[in-house]
Amino acid sequence: MSSLWEKVRRTLPSSEVEFVLDFSEKVDQSVIFLLNKAKQLLYSDEKTAECLQTSEAILDYSWEKLNTGTWRDVDKEWRRVYSFGCLYKAASLCQTEAPGNVYQALKICDMGLLMGASIMDNILGRVVKVLVNEKAVKKRSTEEEEKESFNIKKQKTECWLLPDIRPEVEVLKIHKPSMEHFRKKFLIPEQPIIIEGIIEHWPAFKEHQWSIKYLREVAGCRTVPVELGLRYTDEEWSQTLMTVNDFIDKHIINQEKYGIGYLAQHQLFDQVPELKQDIRIPDYCCLGKGDEEEITINAWIGPAGTISPIHQDPQQNFLAQVVGRKYIRLYSPDETERLYPHKTQLLSNTSQVQVENPDLDQFPDFANATFQECILYPGEVLFIPRSYWHYVRSLDISFSVSFWWS
Amino acid sequence: MFTMLEWFGFGFNQFGQITPIVSGKEKILLPQKIQTCNEFTEEVTENKMKLTKSHAEQAEAEETRARDCGGQPEATESRATESNWRARVSENRGLERSNLYCEADNTIRVSWSRRATLHRAKHSTCSKSHGDKGGICLYGFCSSSCGQSICLCTPKLHDCLDAMISENYLVVKFKDKIESWNIEEEENNPIWSMDITPSFMGDLPLAPGGYVVAKPPFYKSINMPISAKKLTLGEEHVVLLSTDGTVYTWGLGSHGQLGHGTLESQLDPLAVEALHGLKMADVSAGSWHSVCISDGGDIYIWGWNESGQLGLPSRCLQIRDNQRDSGEADMTDIERTEGNMHEEDSLAIFISIQAFPALLDVPGGIEFIKMSCGSRHTAAVTCDGDLYTWGWGKYGQLGHDSIQSVDQPKRVEYFAKQQFYVQHVVCGAWNTFAQVSKRDPPKK
Repeated sequence: MSSLWEKVRRTLPSSEVEFVLDFSEKVDQSVIFLLNKAKQLLYSDEKTAECLQTSEAILDYSWEKLNTGTWRDVDKEWRRVYSFGCLYKAASLCQTEAPGNVYQALKICDMGLLMGASIMDNILGRVVKVLVNEKAVKKRSTEEEEKESFNIKKQKTECWLLPDIRPEVEVLKIHKPSMEHFRKKFLIPEQPIIIEGIIEHWPAFKEHQWSIKYLREVAGCRTVPVELGLRYTDEEWSQTLMTVNDFIDKHIINQEKYGIGYLAQHQLFDQVPELKQDIRIPDYCCLGKGDEEEITINAWIGPAGTISPIHQDPQQNFLAQVVGRKYIRLYSPDETERLYPHKTQLLSNTSQVQVENPDLDQFPDFANATFQECILYPGEVLFIPRSYWHYVRSLDISFSVSFWWS
Repeated sequence: MFTMLEWFGFGFNQFGQITPIVSGKEKILLPQKIQTCNEFTEEVTENKMKLTKSHAEQAEAEETRARDCGGQPEATESRATESNWRARVSENRGLERSNLYCEADNTIRVSWSRRATLHRAKHSTCSKSHGDKGGICLYGFCSSSCGQSICLCTPKLHDCLDAMISENYLVVKFKDKIESWNIEEEENNPIWSMDITPSFMGDLPLAPGGYVVAKPPFYKSINMPISAKKLTLGEEHVVLLSTDGTVYTWGLGSHGQLGHGTLESQLDPLAVEALHGLKMADVSAGSWHSVCISDGGDIYIWGWNESGQLGLPSRCLQIRDNQRDSGEADMTDIERTEGNMHEEDSLAIFISIQAFPALLDVPGGIEFIKMSCGSRHTAAVTCDGDLYTWGWGKYGQLGHDSIQSVDQPKRVEYFAKQQFYVQHVVCGAWNTFAQVSKRDPPKK
């Protein structure tokens, strides 16, 4: 029976010499020195405290680099340094068997996956695999699970409270169109459409029906980014990190007490490979230019009541609904003037108007903007053309998957 | 009568930039007298090194390091040979006297992994290699000596008036020019140079028509006719104080560090409107925050407050405090305390970004005269010689004998208790250096 450290050690290159540290001149010599020192300390097996000390300095310095300039400008090298810092720290923690260490190490690996860049062929993913299989990871009692199922059922929005969809503005539905039909009638003319019958075969609907319970099983102790606050345009809005279990506890089950939280726009499927296996990329994406690796897949998980203010994205979007229903409103790019986009650089892709309670004194022309709307049900996929303005509000606990492609 | 001035340092010391590293001294939590070239006693005789007994411990540490690096006795020998770039300091005659002169007129410049001590030409009987011409001593990271160097000087830096250091470059100002040198590479010539007239007023980074930065392209022009008194650089912004007391800022604004009330960037200098009518005497910039002191001794501060560097309540600190010991908390512990915190503090206001200047909240009667910023902490000297620090404290850079971050100004008790009067403060990214004199008479 191997110890935790022995298992983690096996994910690392077998010798120090094979552990290659290779960086461009962008990375300061002083940092390279620390990276080498930490590697030496890690492989010496028993310099845990010193290794932790050194990896903290590496993490703190690269974290500062990651926060300099815009995210796009951050040199990938610094993200790699950050990942190495995470690897050293997580591995050192595993040199000592202590209950908190597994959780700590897992959190750090997640930080590396979230903010760093892939190193050593995704070694952090391999370390995570060791950690999630440790017995220290707690299982919940059946009693707790039953109580939770009850609380979850209470959150479904009753039919009499649903928004009224007028037939003349309702988004049309089509069942499994051919590639050519989709391309000619919807992709080229940039026309939104709801597509049925193309995701029912996903394991997410069959063998691994997605649910709160399943999410806890497969990703409960993983650390994810969560948005707090009603809308990202509000002053009180913020982003934070927490485990999936925490997110469910606070913002799905106890939402009244802790407020709205939304696990939004997060590449969860890169972080949790088991979830990636439950979904498939829609065939229509191959009508695009890029290849599969360039398609961005995001998870959107939250309670009833999460809101995404009207905004536009620069790529084509397939929004696949798996659990729960969402109310969605769509405005053509032709209506841009009537949507009063923010003037700032940061929010120029977002409208200033609150869709379901517009201030018509401040934004009079909004009343004249033509739109389409729908309630998106589980099993349906909404095609949102590039630059099409869209507003989304969840009506139930909701799991959606979006595919951004060009 | 001389006033004996000494430099103390605290905070990040991973590279021995404050005092030589011995195990456990990677962070210094309480002010410690810094190591200076005058105290490093070593005689250079031809190509051999002889160390005096009083520094045997230091020598031992160096030997161990040399062994760890795969045994490089050549390193010590090459340091003994004279080259244009590297020369060993040796002087232990007239130690006290030269300390007085030297300490009185040297200045500290700090980067993340190094500390530079400037010895100005006019006062110097301080060391053999500096002679009476002045020079710069570098402490901290040196790639050829297993990560720590005691001293690095070059004859070409004689007559230097001022300097700036970054991780890779040293920018030096002389009477008639400003040059930049590559720190790690052995070079006999500067890699960049610009002429200036001796009449140019303004300390680094100010330069004629603009300012210098310690990385390529080294010079940036300012396209507005502002009479500049002082200029200070953050990680992604610039703060300028004009001779009429107006504060200008420009650069990236995503952390509120420009103080114009938005998160927008500014290409060109823009006056901070909220301070209109208040005359400022000094400015300083951290990586993502800006600070200024008014004529009346008040501090105005704005930018990122993620570690309490603005002296405003910081959410991260509440959560960290509740975690008790950083790093060892069980996940369930964190859940419980966070839950409690939420119930009790539902009305608590935390500020993570302050986009407009805020007046620093200090106990009544305190007037500040000087300050300096690290990457995420702030240090300020009062007019009666106390040092206050606040912000990120993980490496001991606040000097409170702790690794806790603090979100309100707190006096560094060490200096008060030891009857030191703080004259000056200079911060590196993760450490703080204070120049002090002995109080006479002592203060209660």
